[in-house]
Amino acid sequence: MTALLIGAIIYVILDFALLYRIFRGPTAADRMCAADALDLTTATALVMYALYTGRAIYLDVGLVVALLGFVGTVFVSRYLEGRI
Amino acid sequence: MNKNRFTDWLSTFILCFLFWLLLVFSLQPREILLGLIVSAIVAWVSCRFLIHESAFYLYNPVRFVLLLFYAVCIFLVELIKANVAMARIVLSPGLDGYKPGVIRIPAAKNIRSLYGLDMVANSITLTPGTITMEVAEDTQGDNYFYVQWASVEETDREKAGDIIKGRMENWIGRIWR
Amino acid sequence: MNIAVTIFLVIGAFFTFVGALGVLRMPDVFGRLQASTCIATLGTINIVIAGVLYAASSDMSAGVIVKLVLFGLLVILTNPVSNHALCKAAYHMGIRPEKGFEPDDYAADFGAADDAENEVKEEA
Repeated sequence: MTALLIGAIIYVILDFALLYRIFRGPTAADRMCAADALDLTTATALVMYALYTGRAIYLDVGLVVALLGFVGTVFVSRYLEGRI
Repeated sequence: MNKNRFTDWLSTFILCFLFWLLLVFSLQPREILLGLIVSAIVAWVSCRFLIHESAFYLYNPVRFVLLLFYAVCIFLVELIKANVAMARIVLSPGLDGYKPGVIRIPAAKNIRSLYGLDMVANSITLTPGTITMEVAEDTQGDNYFYVQWASVEETDREKAGDIIKGRMENWIGRIWR
Repeated sequence: MNIAVTIFLVIGAFFTFVGALGVLRMPDVFGRLQASTCIATLGTINIVIAGVLYAASSDMSAGVIVKLVLFGLLVILTNPVSNHALCKAAYHMGIRPEKGFEPDDYAADFGAADDAENEVKEEA
């Protein structure tokens, strides 16, 4: 079904908007916020691509990307807070 | 304490093993054996972070049905309302109505357990427009949330709490103690 | 069935667009965090619903549906934790909105007002 592929492409294009915020963001917290959102959109695009091709391995990749993004965000924000 | 530790481990072990079975989704003996070993180790490491009160509290079918009803009927409506309000702020030309502020709202008196407070705080954070910054307890034993609010409409704390929490807190009070 | 899948995909893409636009347009970190919650909630839930409908209608194995539901559940469970940690980190770094917080009960109760003195220099 082509709508899934188009949706994945739209999500990847929105990724570039978030990437602009990562390069531009004035402080480290801005960059981390945009990176967290980018993790989620990438994982969702991977899920749609997995459904389009019918290969279930991309679903696992999307799950792992979402979970690792969460762990990374929590670690970096703890560092920025000065607790590590 | 020693006996409690074993029930903590057992309930975490059941949760981990169910999660493993859902992820692997096959019933070969090889997978089941590996899952038993891995979830035993993971439960041994992580049970003291996960279980703080009576174990086996979650494995109650009535409570599970209530949780499902809350997630599908109550929480989804609040989520859609907050998302539409956020979309209206973002799509307006001059970001009208963006007035940030941190406000302290009281929690309901009947929610005492850590799970209930955690669930209220997570529900507040998941609706766009409000983020919980801190959950604190004063000397009388009342709990307070410090909520960072994107568009402050009301500075009185009780009324602001009613606006932010809506119907969510009553239902969470029925699920957890 | 294909029409329903497309409708859910369009709604999810719209809310993700709103979230990305909010991350670009909002003037400070706190507004960006609030806007990026849109991506994690309705942007993901709608895609998961569309995926479940599509997988059920096109004879995929039941494992795919279970994995999709787990994906949505994990995103919903983990996103508030990271948002809360990042918001608190930004507050303790001394970042404030341009006009300041209107009621600021956190600074009044926790004495965090001296954090705001070592303000982060904007390098833009």
